[in-house]
Amino acid sequence: MRLITHNMLSCNIKGVTNGFPLRIEAGNVIKKEVDFNPDFIRHMFAKLEWKALVEGARSMGYAELPEDSPDAAVLESDESFLKKLHHALLELHLEEGALVCPETGRKFPVNKGIPNMLLHEDEV
Amino acid sequence: MKATLAPSSLTFTSLPYSSSFHSSSSSLLFRCPSSSASMTTTTRGNVAVAAAATSTEALRKGIAEFYNETSGLWEEIWGDHMHHGFYDPDSSVQLSDSGHREAQIRMIEESLRFSGVTTDEEEEKKIKKIVDVGCGIGGSSRYLASKFGAESIGITLSPVQAKRANDLAAAQSLAHKVSFQVADALEQPFEDGKFDLVWSMESGEHMPDKAKFVNELVRVVAPGGRIIIVTWCHRNLSEGEKALQPWEQNLLDRICKTFYLPAWCSTDDYVHLLQSHSLQDIKCADWSENVAPFWPAVIRTALTWKGLVSLLRSGMKSIKGALTMPLMIEGYKKGVIKFGIITCRKPL
Repeated sequence: MRLITHNMLSCNIKGVTNGFPLRIEAGNVIKKEVDFNPDFIRHMFAKLEWKALVEGARSMGYAELPEDSPDAAVLESDESFLKKLHHALLELHLEEGALVCPETGRKFPVNKGIPNMLLHEDEV
Repeated sequence: MKATLAPSSLTFTSLPYSSSFHSSSSSLLFRCPSSSASMTTTTRGNVAVAAAATSTEALRKGIAEFYNETSGLWEEIWGDHMHHGFYDPDSSVQLSDSGHREAQIRMIEESLRFSGVTTDEEEEKKIKKIVDVGCGIGGSSRYLASKFGAESIGITLSPVQAKRANDLAAAQSLAHKVSFQVADALEQPFEDGKFDLVWSMESGEHMPDKAKFVNELVRVVAPGGRIIIVTWCHRNLSEGEKALQPWEQNLLDRICKTFYLPAWCSTDDYVHLLQSHSLQDIKCADWSENVAPFWPAVIRTALTWKGLVSLLRSGMKSIKGALTMPLMIEGYKKGVIKFGIITCRKPL
């Protein structure tokens, strides 16, 4: 699971109002190189939940992203920033671990890079 | 009329959806109840005893196991799109394998066109995030992500499918644009309003609670975004008709067993469900004539030497599924089964 996906996932157990972002328990993180495509990164930037991305990256061992979401202008001019964003979003893979609901502590397992978000009967 | 769900051999009575749907307190009758056992009655007086929590669990497990077992076989013979091809009506040309693959791509393009997504470039540029509900091994996701330069997230109940989908994405250098998760379409693990395009290509037929399914699609679509549902339905009921004929229901029940389908609904039912939300541009069409060559082609491939050997290797679920395919043809020929598309847009 990459952080670009983690940025979309939330816990939807019945009654939970604060299911995003999911905390990452990193068991096994691997790095897989992906071709750098600055336009794609710029395209994705507008809809990113920045804080979730920064926290998620830190949990996966990458602390190079700024705390605050930069201005859109930075996207145009600063290629090194774009590369850091690219690395965090696309090149870090959580192979084994868990995603944890911030409100209930419920753990959604991640095996072989695939999160299992199925709820149990008593959670719907 | 009973449908037996393997492997737990629970039985439940399949309800005639359409009859129950139009009454005001009808939504309960769609549900596989999530708490203790409850009794509901249909207008025809059938008593449906739902063994509650376990029947939804059993269906979910059955679907996952069915696709865990059959996906590899399907992919080997038909490729990575697990849906009908779109053909010109009355096309009598015997198509090659590649002709059918092209038809499957055409199904995607026709669906996009029907919904208005590909009307103009401006509309297309707006698509940044796509959710593929019931994604199979990710054929649609990869195609749509490539086409729109967007991110696509797919959800499936089958871990085998999710893994295969991710592997194919990596092999096609699309791993940065598409990802696949194990999740339930009725409980989607997303916040509200996240997706510019909500895509359900032949997965609606597996949803035991159509109202909840539509609620989820509407919840996760972004303002201005579109929902596209392409699905198997039964024919619309006529004015005053409360349910399908017993022989029609019987035919569908036999298909339900082997394909792990809960009770069917009609295209009209989907339209009514969408109308109950504030949505724009609700459109639907009957594409049954455009998919007619599909099942005969699937049966032909199953009957080849390669097909038969693969079936035998795959297991009982695949074999039973293959034996059920003539029933699909019968259903279409007799006008019981319809191939429908329903699309709409969420207002800004």
